[in-house]
Amino acid sequence: MSDRKQNLPQLYRFCFLMLGDSRKAQEVFNTTLREAAVRAAQGELPREPFWLFREARWRCLEASKTDLQPESLEIEEHDIAPQAASQIKQLDPTQLAIWISAAPDPQRSALALFYLDEFNYLEILDIAELKLSTLSRCLSQGRRQLQAWLDAKHLGAAEV
Amino acid sequence: MRTLRLLRRRRALLNCAPISHDHLADRSMRAAVSREDGSDGFVNQQNFDRAVAELIRLVPIPAESAEWFLDKGAIRGPKWTWRRILLNPAVLAISIALLVIAGVFTFQVLGRLNDFPGSATARKLLTVAGSTRSVTLDPVSAEAGTLSDLFFMKHGLEHYDVPDEFADFRTIGCRVFDDDESQRIAQIWVAEKRMQFFLFPAERDTKTGAVLAFPGWRYVHQEGWIGAVTEHNGVCFMAVLQGREKDLEPYLSGPKQ
Repeated sequence: MSDRKQNLPQLYRFCFLMLGDSRKAQEVFNTTLREAAVRAAQGELPREPFWLFREARWRCLEASKTDLQPESLEIEEHDIAPQAASQIKQLDPTQLAIWISAAPDPQRSALALFYLDEFNYLEILDIAELKLSTLSRCLSQGRRQLQAWLDAKHLGAAEV
Repeated sequence: MRTLRLLRRRRALLNCAPISHDHLADRSMRAAVSREDGSDGFVNQQNFDRAVAELIRLVPIPAESAEWFLDKGAIRGPKWTWRRILLNPAVLAISIALLVIAGVFTFQVLGRLNDFPGSATARKLLTVAGSTRSVTLDPVSAEAGTLSDLFFMKHGLEHYDVPDEFADFRTIGCRVFDDDESQRIAQIWVAEKRMQFFLFPAERDTKTGAVLAFPGWRYVHQEGWIGAVTEHNGVCFMAVLQGREKDLEPYLSGPKQ
């Protein structure tokens, strides 16, 4: 297996983005790797690429099933602003992870996999089992919703 | 309609445009990106995505999870060595099957190398020799060479002559019978090493009817029985015994193959 297919730091970050909680992310990450080690010892590792990410994704979805689910609201959306990059730089990675993990699936998986900057779009479609139109919608909406959240945060901070 | 669909697809691809240029997966993505490169909206999107990706790269890895990075081999499949490949059940099964096929093929080729006109009949008669009991033959106590006259006089079989090498052997019995191709076969049992002789028509060319002659003696084997065959005047003579070539060799003269 090539290093790219089992980039373990990125796998942990993926779990973190999916769950927004470092304790839960560690739990899923460790369980996924323990299971993989057992399968490797038995010579039963899947041949498909990125199976570790696929496994971790299912575990994350399973782990968050019991969590409080966000109410389905019409979330505000804004056009991406030229100053968005500087707004993002003021964020803490954990804040971003919490925001992504609060998104409903498949948007959550799409955003987490895309912003890892580890896979091309075809690989994301494969791992998250999505169609191009769904991935495109998830990412486009995600950007606009994140921009609205950034704007609200920025405005709130300015008012304080 | 088609243009609309193309535009929609290009829009979809742009929404998934990679953050790093290394991840430009295919031609359609490269085309969509290069067409839109430099537009304000796309530049904003790329800056936005880059900033988010950079922020995610700052996610710290807990020490406990980082321990896994030191032992990557633990989740790496075992390397494919020649030994592993050879012991793979599928490879093993195919190899055995190929060996068996090769063995059968070689056996067939080797069998064919020793073939001669009449060898098929000779082999069938070796089976007959193996299943014949002496009581099924008419008792005749004479020299084998003298039975030619009996075959001619009683059964009308011309040139059913026992070669000189075996002519002096004392017979126990003989018979004449038709094989499954209605060929007249003469069978003689002699006292010497419980040997049997067979006389049968030589194989002929199906078109011309000419006898397919062959020089000297030829051997045929079948289930522990050995036969030495020679052809003379359109009739094949075969001496048969249970054993191997070396048991028959002392009786034969002239070229052997």
